[in-house]
Amino acid sequence: MTASARLPLLLIPAALFVLAIYAWPTLLLMRNAFNEVGPTGAMVEAWSLKTAADTFADGFTFELTLNSIWLSLSATAIALALSYPLSLFLFRTDSRWKGLLAVIAIMPMLISSVVRVFGWLAILGDRGLVNGLLQSLGLISAPLKLVFNWTGVTIGLAESIMPYMILALLAGFGQLDRTLEEASRSLGASPFRTFMRVTLPLSLPAIALAAGLGFVLSMSAYITPKLLGGGRVFVLATEIFEQATTNTNWPVAAVLAIYTLVLLLALLALSNVVAKGLKR
Amino acid sequence: MSYLELSGLQKRYGSAVAVDDVSLSVAKGEAVALLGPSGCGKTTTLRMLAGLIEPNQGMIRVDGSEITRLPAHKRNMGYVFQSYALFPHMSVARNVAFGLEERGRPKAEIARQVEEALAMVRLEGLAQRRPRELSGGQQQRVALARALVIHPSVLLLDESLSNLDAKLRDTMRHEIRSIQRSLGITTLFVTHDQVEALTMCDRIAVMHRGRIAQIGSPEDIYERPATRFVAEFVGRANALPAERGSDGRVTLWGAAQPVTAPVEQAFDIFVRPQRMRILPLSEPAGDATARVTGKVLRNVFVGDHVEVLVEGAGGQLTVEMASGSPVPPEGSEVAVVWRAQDSLPFAREAA
Amino acid sequence: MNGAGPVLSSLAALVYALILAPIVVVFALAFSADNFILFPPSGYSLRWFQALAGHAPLLSALGLSVQVASVVTLLSLVVGVPAALALAKGEFRGKAALTGFFLAPLLLPTLITGLALLLFFTPLRLTATLPGLVLGHMTVTVPFVIRMMTTALSNLPHDIEAAAATLGATPWRVVRRVTLPLAMPGLIACGCLSFLLSFDETVISLFISGPRASTLPVEMVRYVEGRTDPLIAALSVVLIIATLIVIVAVERLVGVARAVGK
Repeated sequence: MTASARLPLLLIPAALFVLAIYAWPTLLLMRNAFNEVGPTGAMVEAWSLKTAADTFADGFTFELTLNSIWLSLSATAIALALSYPLSLFLFRTDSRWKGLLAVIAIMPMLISSVVRVFGWLAILGDRGLVNGLLQSLGLISAPLKLVFNWTGVTIGLAESIMPYMILALLAGFGQLDRTLEEASRSLGASPFRTFMRVTLPLSLPAIALAAGLGFVLSMSAYITPKLLGGGRVFVLATEIFEQATTNTNWPVAAVLAIYTLVLLLALLALSNVVAKGLKR
Repeated sequence: MSYLELSGLQKRYGSAVAVDDVSLSVAKGEAVALLGPSGCGKTTTLRMLAGLIEPNQGMIRVDGSEITRLPAHKRNMGYVFQSYALFPHMSVARNVAFGLEERGRPKAEIARQVEEALAMVRLEGLAQRRPRELSGGQQQRVALARALVIHPSVLLLDESLSNLDAKLRDTMRHEIRSIQRSLGITTLFVTHDQVEALTMCDRIAVMHRGRIAQIGSPEDIYERPATRFVAEFVGRANALPAERGSDGRVTLWGAAQPVTAPVEQAFDIFVRPQRMRILPLSEPAGDATARVTGKVLRNVFVGDHVEVLVEGAGGQLTVEMASGSPVPPEGSEVAVVWRAQDSLPFAREAA
Repeated sequence: MNGAGPVLSSLAALVYALILAPIVVVFALAFSADNFILFPPSGYSLRWFQALAGHAPLLSALGLSVQVASVVTLLSLVVGVPAALALAKGEFRGKAALTGFFLAPLLLPTLITGLALLLFFTPLRLTATLPGLVLGHMTVTVPFVIRMMTTALSNLPHDIEAAAATLGATPWRVVRRVTLPLAMPGLIACGCLSFLLSFDETVISLFISGPRASTLPVEMVRYVEGRTDPLIAALSVVLIIATLIVIVAVERLVGVARAVGK
């Protein structure tokens, strides 16, 4: 039929858009990684690996990598510990408010990240909610340093990746058959034993995927480390932005961006392999 | 003179063959059922007729003109989908009017025809309802009215009654058949339900593995199945393993029978359970009557009849007796007899 | 074993408290009478809402953001919906690969996309312009529209379009009379979410905004970096309420979890 043969023509505008505004700039980014920076700081067109070599020879790059990985690991671990029970609750509940509860759980991803960061400033700041509470209870005399350091960034980051992880976990739980848990209970296992022997093992693939997603999102997060770090937290994302804008050192920014991307792809592949291995 | 003609229709999906060489001619006003188990290619055949699937090979003709490559919207065929596929965003009246609107008919004419069509399926008061506010049977009627109002050249029904409960299915069966007859519309039914096929159609085409295994009147199909598959699929049958003696006579359960079989290889004799009778051992069989003996294992009361399970030298068989008639006690030795002509020999399938 | 049980429910309640904490705190702070972030506030007033109404940079950034998001939404639907139609209804070679190609931008972090766009736009003088911001945001919204509408169009009732075709509707008439009307709730929800995505987009905007043209999130980041007073809380309250209205609308139309999830 001619009509269905013409259907793929509808893809042309979108294809042109993705090619011109997405694929081409990405290639341009790769190209910039081979340029050099002259002594005056101006970019010199080249096809060399000098920028890459200099960047990786710099101990700071190594430090940034460790910072990024450590931050992402801790944020992902915290977010997972909080998301898992919440997702299991949403999966299990018979509440008539189930729909609303699910919306609330993933609402943060629809609210501006700047707004949420500002909320954390008000909670964790020197004169914020937590310090105010602890001081009025007489538990501390001087305010705890909870923001503009790694603590604040980790907390804020964990919260910002939770909705994505909850969605990933819920999707994974879809394959969890409730009758299996009922079978376990009928065979004499306590709720706790049922969780340890049936529910948890069956949800391990979902956990691996959610953790992979959370890690990737943390590694590439910029707003939270920037604002809650208060200029004292240095990770790959903040460095890429600094190099690209403040320093206008595009080759270095491009090298770091590609480097980060490679790290992410390796991690995604790893979490997929783990999830697949667990599924068997 | 055939009105609708399919010849050599074939549809492949990659290496899988959904329909493999289907040829069929249907006379004007005739109702034909495509009967078969799921996956036999009957729905694919119907969709190729409607232009919803393009065949790889073969030809479709209606009233002398070829339509094999014509797009669906130019074919003027009324299609009643298994799911009914009513437009949920339109009222019943708009659903029925849809085809006429697409044909650009004047408003007044559309209104009149929609009214007539709804009257025909007895849905006069429900014109302004939405499909989801109707019962399954009512939705089915809307789908039928929508397909008929365009005066289609052929009416195609795909498992149309399978979503209704048993009682309603009976009513709709008669209703559709009487509408089909009074309009004299050429109709193709797709169904896996033999009762539907036997009661609603002039002829039945039994499909098996993408081909037509047998085509004929309901009586032909039931009484004279052409293949082992048709005998097994339509109605119920006892398959008795048979041997052929050197004299050409057939032996069943160790007893020689007045039955002849033309086949050389291993075969079974098929007998319908309701064609069998149970006699006391002492009573002799008449002429041209097949007879085996065995022990009554169990009597199963099924409402309008009783199934008597008999075990003998060659295995088990079921005899269907009218309920109310005296049944032999379980454990008793009996003779099972049937007319020799009710024996249908079919070669055993190679495993 | 019905329901979630008391242990799990209490754990979930704790997590909910944590999720909602920043939002609740922002609300309380918006009505603060203090000059700086102090919790709990020493007094309550509407002074920060008044200050917001008189803050020209934030207001003009808001204007630009609304402008950008509106154009982005419109263009993304125009570009994305036909593509979704082809991907959902078409049967052609390489469909899976093409789908992957269109959704790829959703996989790359906006940090990378933002940098790539900065490098691309600077020589073309598109940074800090309305067209530049619109194109930049569309790298996020076009793939989103394609993904969401492909799902929505694939999930239409079975055989409903085939029914229209057998009744004599041409392919184009089928789209107009059946496909689009049935996909309309999904389409509106998709438009709402595209608007939100563009309106909240921060990282790409930070790369390609400039003093001449800043979107609201960019202006907010600058403000928070410089000062810590409750003005941003007041603004946040306005934004959260607007967002909630959109979320409720989307939930009514298609369900948020289904819309944002894969």
